[in-house]
Amino acid sequence: MDFNPGMKHQLIRKTVRDFAENEIRHRAAEMDKGPGFPQDLMEKMKPLHYFGLQTPTHLGGAGLDTISYTIVVEEISRVSAALGLCITVHNSVGIYPILRFGTREQQQQFVPPMAAGDSIGAFCLTEANAGSDAGGVETVARKTDNGFILNGTKIFVTNGGICGTILVFAVSDTAPAQSSVFIVENHTPGFSVGEIEDLCGMRANPVASLFFEDCRIPADHCLGKPGQGLKIGLAALDTGRIGVAAQALGIAQAAFEESLAYAKARQQFNQPISRFQTIQNYLADMALQIDASRLLVHRAAALKDKGQPFSAQAAMAKLHGSTTARKVTNLAVQIHGGYGYSKEYDVERYFRDAKVTEIYEGTNEIQRMVIARDLLTRPV
Amino acid sequence: MLHIIVCIKQVPMVSELPWDPRTGTLKRETAQGMMDPAARRALEAALQIKADRTSGPVSITAVSMGPPMAEEVLFEARALGADQGVLLTDPCMAGADTCMTAVILGKFIKNHCPDAGLILCGSMSSDSETAQVGPQLAEDLDIPAIGYARRLELVDGCIRVERHVDDFLELMEMDLPGLVTIDHAGESDRYTPRYVALGGVEAAFNKGGIQVMNSRALGLDHAFNALKHSPTKIMDVYSPVTEKKGRVLTGAVKKMVDTLFDDYGKIVSSAMGKDLKTHDHEEDV
Repeated sequence: MDFNPGMKHQLIRKTVRDFAENEIRHRAAEMDKGPGFPQDLMEKMKPLHYFGLQTPTHLGGAGLDTISYTIVVEEISRVSAALGLCITVHNSVGIYPILRFGTREQQQQFVPPMAAGDSIGAFCLTEANAGSDAGGVETVARKTDNGFILNGTKIFVTNGGICGTILVFAVSDTAPAQSSVFIVENHTPGFSVGEIEDLCGMRANPVASLFFEDCRIPADHCLGKPGQGLKIGLAALDTGRIGVAAQALGIAQAAFEESLAYAKARQQFNQPISRFQTIQNYLADMALQIDASRLLVHRAAALKDKGQPFSAQAAMAKLHGSTTARKVTNLAVQIHGGYGYSKEYDVERYFRDAKVTEIYEGTNEIQRMVIARDLLTRPV
Repeated sequence: MLHIIVCIKQVPMVSELPWDPRTGTLKRETAQGMMDPAARRALEAALQIKADRTSGPVSITAVSMGPPMAEEVLFEARALGADQGVLLTDPCMAGADTCMTAVILGKFIKNHCPDAGLILCGSMSSDSETAQVGPQLAEDLDIPAIGYARRLELVDGCIRVERHVDDFLELMEMDLPGLVTIDHAGESDRYTPRYVALGGVEAAFNKGGIQVMNSRALGLDHAFNALKHSPTKIMDVYSPVTEKKGRVLTGAVKKMVDTLFDDYGKIVSSAMGKDLKTHDHEEDV
């Protein structure tokens, strides 16, 4: 067992950090006034494969392993969690289900423009009455002679305002217990984007409601087989959770770095506050939890790369990572005192960004259910 | 086929420079390495020549002399588009000064890349800033060299080089094989290094390992010892200590101005680049 990152993963981290520090950091606070990402920044990211991280090279991607993928998401989120969110959702729950469940034709039609960053992916499960309870989906797909007609409203869709290729969960009009996933393009007649949500954090990401009114979907735009919705959704969320865990890790890491530097520089009672035992305890707890988060993220990623079951491990990584992000950013604000509560300092943004990692991609309550179910069904 | 050799040095990452204030030396064992920014520009120049269709077929070999961990910058060079990466490493190469570094690089080029047409180096590395390895390597190989180039162009089998020296823009032409060191040209930099594409990193590692050569493979004498044979001996390395001392001048204005000129005139004059005492004050009259 080797806990040191290999040379490739070190180089991936340096590569992304170089880009993030030079191209993203100085714009992150401005982006937070959001919504939306600067187009020139997106253009710079396109040829560097940020939109096709794990997409195979023959479809225009980088073909990265999952550990590399988590490093990329962590490093982007370390400077802008909202952009990290765009990247992880696009790559994991946007592209991954098409790669895993799509036909060859679907892969060749939809994936290359997504991997090139010309069509941003979105994943629509949540509705007014469906979230943790995926069975509560009310968007309906009515079968016609040559396809389906989609009707419904999805809410809190990450990347909603900029999405091009959308995976939509809908139930059959004749068998409401059966859900399916449809690939919808943003130019489909009847599709529209609602107002951008005014959220607490991740404000650069244009999270929005999406409306589907009599959208005609060709039969070959159904992902997998009709009725496979739940299976596809759970598989997408498993991989998405690794990404959210990596994102939470990046936020926590950023908050920790700011806190460490501030504690060494800030003078009170004629000495740096890092000399005080309470601050030292805070820093030690932060470092400990971040380290544990990183190990959990990399373990889940390594299992996925080996083709082994990783659902419970992804849930653990997401649960621990997001809890850590919330706690660490809270301590970061505390260490910064009044300054940490001001928008002048980045920790204020990290504090707002961290909370939602405990909510999306399955709430932390759902993660505990996933972990417990794995424990209770494991053969003794 | 033009074979370009790019000499690449791994330097400590400036942002994370772990300096030991007690010994005044760099803690190299904990220093994170990175590709020397100047070498990175040299590689960028090679990549642009390769991308230019008028250059004909071009092959790029990135070579580095350094400890085993320097392999990383060669993978990075491959990720950026170099065709081959070669690491020259051996305990007997440790402690090489610029002269011995040039000898080792020269040995590699003479024995293993006899077809080398153009050799590119950074003008000077970010950690030691000697600017010596490039010219010394050209001397060792007995080929012409041009330093501090800002722009390169292949013209009819020779290389046209633009450089900015002492407020003059020089345009030179040199027969190949030859060596050029690439300088930084400020905002108009033609060779601002590109970012590494993530797919490039994956491909660089999928291509297999970096070719590693020790002193025997290079054909160095078995008694070769870079530290012993280096003509440069470092006497001492220390951090310069700067002290800021404030002095408040008191008294009448004329007295204060006189004191200022008498005591600090030379410092102010040298900073301003003109002699204050002989400066024409006509406009003040």
